[in-house]
Amino acid sequence: MKTESFASVPRKTIISLLIIAAFSLFGFRLFQMQVVQHTSFDQRSAGNSIKGIEQTPLRGVFYDRNLEVVVKNQPAYTLRITPADYDRSLNRLLETVIDADSGYIDRILYNNRLYSRFIPVRIKRGVDFKVIAWYEENSEHLPGVDYIVEMQRGYPAGIMGSHMFGYTKEISPDQLEREKDYYRPGDYVGHNGIEKAYENYLRGTKGYIYILVDSRRREIGSYRGGEQDTPSIKGHDLVLTIDVEIQRLAEQMMKGKRGAIVAIEPATGEILAMVSAPDYDLNQFSYVTTKEFLDDLYSDPDKPSFNRATMSVKPPGSTYKMLSALAALDLGVINENSTIFCGGGFTYGRFFKCLGSHGAVNVTRSIEKSCNTFYYRLIYKIGLDKWAKYSNKMGFGKKAGIDIGEEVAGLIPDSKYYERIYGHNWPRSIMASLGIGQGEVSVSPLQLAQYCALIANSGKSYTPHLVKGYLDDYTKELIPFKFKEINTGISEKAFSLVREGMHLVVHGSGTATRMRIEGLEIAGKTGTAQNPHGKDHALFVGFAPYENPKIAIAVIVENVGFGGTHAAPIARAMFETYLLGDKPRKHEEVKPQTLSPMVLGALSEN
Amino acid sequence: MRIDYKLNDKFDFPIFFTMFFLLAIGLIAIYSATVNHLTMSDNFSRQVTWAIISLVVFFIIYSLPSNTFRLSAVPVYLVSLFFLIVVLFLGKTVSGAKSWLDIGPFGFQPSEFAKLGTILALAFFLSRRTTDIDSFKDIIIALAIGFLPVGLILLEPDLGSSFVYVGVILLMIFWKGISVFGLFVVLSPGFVALAALFGLYYFLGALLIVGVALVFFKRDLFFSASIYALNIGAGFFADYVYHALSPHQQKRIQSFIDPDSDPLGAGYNSIQAMVAIGSGGIAGKGFLNGNQTQLQYIPEQWTDFIYCVIGEEFGFIGAIITLTLFLILLLRILKICASAKDEFLSLLSIGILSIYFVHFLINIGMTIGLLPVIGIPLPFVSYGGSSLLINMCMLGIIANIYRTRKQFT
Repeated sequence: MKTESFASVPRKTIISLLIIAAFSLFGFRLFQMQVVQHTSFDQRSAGNSIKGIEQTPLRGVFYDRNLEVVVKNQPAYTLRITPADYDRSLNRLLETVIDADSGYIDRILYNNRLYSRFIPVRIKRGVDFKVIAWYEENSEHLPGVDYIVEMQRGYPAGIMGSHMFGYTKEISPDQLEREKDYYRPGDYVGHNGIEKAYENYLRGTKGYIYILVDSRRREIGSYRGGEQDTPSIKGHDLVLTIDVEIQRLAEQMMKGKRGAIVAIEPATGEILAMVSAPDYDLNQFSYVTTKEFLDDLYSDPDKPSFNRATMSVKPPGSTYKMLSALAALDLGVINENSTIFCGGGFTYGRFFKCLGSHGAVNVTRSIEKSCNTFYYRLIYKIGLDKWAKYSNKMGFGKKAGIDIGEEVAGLIPDSKYYERIYGHNWPRSIMASLGIGQGEVSVSPLQLAQYCALIANSGKSYTPHLVKGYLDDYTKELIPFKFKEINTGISEKAFSLVREGMHLVVHGSGTATRMRIEGLEIAGKTGTAQNPHGKDHALFVGFAPYENPKIAIAVIVENVGFGGTHAAPIARAMFETYLLGDKPRKHEEVKPQTLSPMVLGALSEN
Repeated sequence: MRIDYKLNDKFDFPIFFTMFFLLAIGLIAIYSATVNHLTMSDNFSRQVTWAIISLVVFFIIYSLPSNTFRLSAVPVYLVSLFFLIVVLFLGKTVSGAKSWLDIGPFGFQPSEFAKLGTILALAFFLSRRTTDIDSFKDIIIALAIGFLPVGLILLEPDLGSSFVYVGVILLMIFWKGISVFGLFVVLSPGFVALAALFGLYYFLGALLIVGVALVFFKRDLFFSASIYALNIGAGFFADYVYHALSPHQQKRIQSFIDPDSDPLGAGYNSIQAMVAIGSGGIAGKGFLNGNQTQLQYIPEQWTDFIYCVIGEEFGFIGAIITLTLFLILLLRILKICASAKDEFLSLLSIGILSIYFVHFLINIGMTIGLLPVIGIPLPFVSYGGSSLLINMCMLGIIANIYRTRKQFT
């Protein structure tokens, strides 16, 4: 056929030849470029490079509720290496200068091997100025080494806030993998506390500057006149709910103790102070965290890294009596005139003792005197499941939903719980202890503070939180965050009777009469949680002023003894400072050690 | 052994595996080009998704009955034209050309889709029993079928895709059996027009060559004279079009003629692409270690300049392996063309071959500085969903033609 061929050559052959010709031409050209002229192209490539410099934005700072700075940024030097330009034979010299062990630099470079060799790797943060001076003198012999000034966290207000603020830390490989759109190796991110929970508000937006550099990495100008440069945008400044004054006071008073304090503004759920003791110094995290410091932190038997305020749970002891009272009053099981006779104890299978013989007591008197008999009996009148339901309404047995996240739910046993353990015929005598807040029931300090705040504000509040909102960058106006409203639905009458009882605890003949302050009406309740492993835990919950409460506090001091002796004085000092604006008149007065051991009223509780 | 034989007979492993390796090389290069990019770092996972979708489509098309293609030729062509018109009104402008249509969450380029429509229609027309490719009328009809979409694409304006069509139309007419003289008549105006862009002396030289060729063909004087006039006209037309082009397009043509004339402007991409490849050396700088690539010297490197990533990070060895895979793929498709069971399928497969070939030629030619910067992707390697999907559809057709080559119905 005539069409099979083209000028007597088969068409298929012509197309094959075309394809082979293109292949040969390209192959030849590649050989010429990549093999013959390689050196000259390589020089051109190295001689003219664009370097993108990341502009790290300033992290947002923290203000307290009165706009005093509590966490700020401060400058520090960071030494870096750009692997592509760096000569590994400098390792020993550098390691000596920055006082690191041998192999330190290789380890860091190895961890970053998956990233471009043209991205600088941070070798050490917070290096001494002497090192920088040495570098400046010798920089020409140190190719691929440079330093930058970076911002680190500083804590100017003299408060620790360890568990609340949290710290920033170099991003972990896992998180980097998850959020590699934004972060680069070596970036610092919030690791816990507010720094972590509000990372997206705090971190700001990175900027980039592009410059042209020659083969010696000397800058030879901006790339395309800087048209692609983007400035960094500072992160949002947060306004916290805490009050520096009482936070500082609370931290000082918890020095050398184990335990936690949480103070809440009842109407808003704003946390005024939150302390977990022992705490640790966040400044240790701002620069280089030494290995010894971390070892100490994590091996300490007192577990300073553990946020006791939200993560530790204990039986609430007598502070839980108000819960039963609320449930019984709201259910109509009792009214303000109902009395229960206390003859020094209660028998249900075995004898449960009361620390006194209170006679016929009504509900307010039962709180004032912390009468156990009243509550041993009352829980049987309420019924276990209803008691558990009211516990839930008041925020127990579930997470409070605090904005920093790290918290536990605790445990409120109900009949299903005991059926699982003991079967259908579980011993009903267990309930008696629950009535006075002992046994399986366990709650966190945060939950106790929330509970106290709900009592103070008649069952209405907001989810407890540490951050009010952030400041708008231009107008400096506060943009508030929204938090969930809480309404327990329990009757006002029940709350006012319970508050009256708590008022009598301080201002009547109760267990905390020592904490009276002139010119301030305080309501509260002491408690002691039995501890099978050692001395009992001291508890106190309370609020002030009695009318129109502004602050509700829960204090727990572990392994010290009675609540009235060890926990109430701390709350007293905080009420005084927060509401009367005075420094404690005499520092000794607030120390529990100086209280007279003969105050028998304090021992008659439980 | 028996089963193996049967499978080999039904499924062409060489084209499938060369395609698969090209796809893999492409994914590696896309990863490298975008991993440190601020906004494009999820291109890799997107391309993986598209690759999976495209492979599914490949197997669907592979298993269709072979007369599907002939039946769908005219409708697909008309739908292609429809979308090419719609995009002119509703299209989204991407890098200066109104070439994208957004349908729901997806965007696609009608010009990619129209490639398939055009070769189907051309194959359909050329394989009619009555078509005589050396008759003036049928050549005009064939050119009209081919150039109608080109005209619409030039209105977007997308210069790169238009070049592909020109190459494809020529190769299909050639495969149909055009005579030497017929091809000369079709080609010479283009040759003269191209020469005219280089300047007056090139233009006159080209006219001289055309004149000598006309004397050599010994056709009648009037016919030869009209063809010569057509050539002169093409030269002036090219000059006119050049001046009518937008300044940035003029610069591109200028920078091809002399890349160093404006090293930070239009010639920038071309130079940086060559520096990237040249500095790769024999073994390359290693995965993720190419400074030209990682510092994002070359804009949009994951699409049109993807071959630079391969050349820089995997060197001469990587670049030659990629070339060889294309060589195997193209020659294998050519073999299937020649064994197709009828002329329509043979023409269709040569059309597909030419699409791959012209893309390959222009894309690699551009990155190694042999051709001006014309933005078209490298088949199976470059980032881009619609391009990958349509390339895979066409490979599915080839696989289908291979599968049904012995069925005579």
